[in-house]
Amino acid sequence: MPASAELVVARGLGKTYRGAKGATTVATTDICFAARAGEVFGLLGPNGAGKTTTLRMLSTVLTPTTGTASIDGHDVVSHPDRVRAAIGFLSGNTGLYPRLTPREVLAYFGRLYGLPDERIAARTEELSRLLDMGGFLDKRCDALSTGMKQKVNVARTVLHDPHVLILDEPTAGLDVLASRTIIDFVRRCRGEGKCVVFSTHIMAEVARVCDRLAIIHKGRVQFSGTIAEFRQSAGDDLEEAFLRVLERAA
Amino acid sequence: MSLRRVLVIARKEFTDVLRDRRTLIFMLLLPIVVIPALLMIITSFAKSQMKERETRVLTFAVEPQGRVLLQTLAHRWMNDNMTAFVAVSARLGVEAFGGLDDLSRVADRVQALEDAGNEKGGVGDAAVMAWVSAWRDLNDDQQQMLRDGGAVSRFLDQVRWEGLDKLPAADRLPQGVSLPADLPGGLDDLRIAAAITARDKAVHAALYVPPGDIDQWLNVEPQSAVSLPITILYDSSQSLSREANDRFDGFIDALNRSEVRARLTAVQFGRDFVKPMEVKEANIASKGREAQAVIGGILPYLIILFCFFGAFYPSLDLTAGEKERFTLETLLLAPVSRVEIAAGKFLVVFTAAVTAALLTTASLAFTFTYGILPEGATAAFDLHFEVPAVLLTASLLVPVAALFASVLLTVALCARSFKEAQSYAAPLQFLIILPAMTALMPDLQTELKWAWVPLMNVSLLMRELLKGNYLWDFYAITLVSMFLLSGLTLWIASRVFRRESVLLRT
Repeated sequence: MPASAELVVARGLGKTYRGAKGATTVATTDICFAARAGEVFGLLGPNGAGKTTTLRMLSTVLTPTTGTASIDGHDVVSHPDRVRAAIGFLSGNTGLYPRLTPREVLAYFGRLYGLPDERIAARTEELSRLLDMGGFLDKRCDALSTGMKQKVNVARTVLHDPHVLILDEPTAGLDVLASRTIIDFVRRCRGEGKCVVFSTHIMAEVARVCDRLAIIHKGRVQFSGTIAEFRQSAGDDLEEAFLRVLERAA
Repeated sequence: MSLRRVLVIARKEFTDVLRDRRTLIFMLLLPIVVIPALLMIITSFAKSQMKERETRVLTFAVEPQGRVLLQTLAHRWMNDNMTAFVAVSARLGVEAFGGLDDLSRVADRVQALEDAGNEKGGVGDAAVMAWVSAWRDLNDDQQQMLRDGGAVSRFLDQVRWEGLDKLPAADRLPQGVSLPADLPGGLDDLRIAAAITARDKAVHAALYVPPGDIDQWLNVEPQSAVSLPITILYDSSQSLSREANDRFDGFIDALNRSEVRARLTAVQFGRDFVKPMEVKEANIASKGREAQAVIGGILPYLIILFCFFGAFYPSLDLTAGEKERFTLETLLLAPVSRVEIAAGKFLVVFTAAVTAALLTTASLAFTFTYGILPEGATAAFDLHFEVPAVLLTASLLVPVAALFASVLLTVALCARSFKEAQSYAAPLQFLIILPAMTALMPDLQTELKWAWVPLMNVSLLMRELLKGNYLWDFYAITLVSMFLLSGLTLWIASRVFRRESVLLRT
């Protein structure tokens, strides 16, 4: 596929939650952005900005109230099944089945993605080598450390070799070493020509891995552009640039 | 919906829940080990309690002259009956010489022979069987006399006398105790009543026997015979006091029968003179059939309850448990539809529920057939459940398990955590216990209108099936009613599984 193909396109995604007694909460309004193959697209914003809601709409767990999005050419509203088969999703608090082993977890999701058993076995070996999981592939997940678990989650995310990866604060709650695994993994995916949408509230992570970014605050996109453009807006100080965008929105 | 994906989910969930200790306990351990063990313990405990009550020495408060009179009466019984007693008991293989001990030994033998005769059509030890037939050959008076000997000895053997004057004084009655208005004046009512009802149960019953010469009372001209008025004071709310009343009753009945026999002989009347009508009772049910009727009432209740228990933990684990472990969102992101997820999980919970119910049935049948033997019995209850009845009973489990699985999955899915799910789901068992218990009410008939009431219909129908009554119209309505309800709850479950607000509530 051409490196410039837009694999993730959000077109005016809006989500309104209906609470008890008719109360409504607007989580996001008119979110628009596009992420291309071979790039890491950062979704930056403070807690509660609407990042998770946006990513859940992209990954079809939530249905948008307004607007739509397409992933790898499939519409999230009309063809959620195809979208789900095309993406790999990982979040910081993704859990594993404690009573299963990593090998069983991978086999389970492999089958759900419709991979034949030989392919699952081959991919498990391949990813185990890549992520250095050989030592604990057959231990129960409840016996694994946080770092080990996150490796298993990474393996599960890319098991079916998706073109698009959606990572929702994947480093939240991880120590330096485990975070490093994730960052390396994101870079490798970019090298393989995948499109990575990466949400975080940590500016430094954006600077390290993102090519382009969108800043979300109060449910809206407040800035969208390349890292270079973003830097320019505040004289090279990213933290300062981030705060300025937030202040403008207030 | 793809069956392949449903089975992939079900297969994984099976592996998962079978590694969960709580599920295993409720699905396997409880039915196979705990229920039979518990039943055996309860039964043997009840038996030993009964034995303890029967052999317990009971205290009767009575004035000295009343005590002498009762003992004189007992001697009269022995004098009047002992020759015949010794002769008859020899035919049953018991050597008796006429002491008080002999009376109870013979009575025990009579009980054993009657039990042996009731078991399995009378197959057993040749000598025992000879005595059984000797017992059956005795006439009613002879049989009654041997039993009465037991009653007389049971009363006299295990009695402790207490003088009325020894009882502590009391100025008021305990709550709920009232004294009859027509008590004879010889009783110091308050003190006795207070003693019987006292916490330490120092006295189990009090007797009042009017003073006078007992021989004069009894040996009167037939025309002027008057009953000797004896009063017994007891507290029916206490089991030992009830036992005292029963023993005394048996004792007096035995004495009365003996006196009546003597009087009839004196006036040269036959025994039929005091029995214008005679009823011969013939119970055509074997002990096995009796037991089956009782068990037929308990089984449906336990089957339904354990079906619920079997579904309980897996359903919580597969829904609220997945939320708690943050695995549900990942599953929702896989290319499977939510209905497929619901179906896979349903399949697992349904299977667990059916398994638990079947294991409960099997282990109970085993326990009743081989485990719990009635005292002195040579073999266990001769239970037979007909194969078609068992199959029909099992078929009723399908809608019951489907109902429990879908309701529990729905309720538990709405919870944020395992704990919250438990607090939602646990009260459901109270909704189930009541209709499930209906089979335990022997007077509740299987009227067709009950066939429409879910669970109650299953409970009643299982009871009838296990007794061998095939109520086809009741069965048909039950199936319709249960499948309508479980279909509805399944539909609701599949709707709830599609609601993102429920799925993502954490």
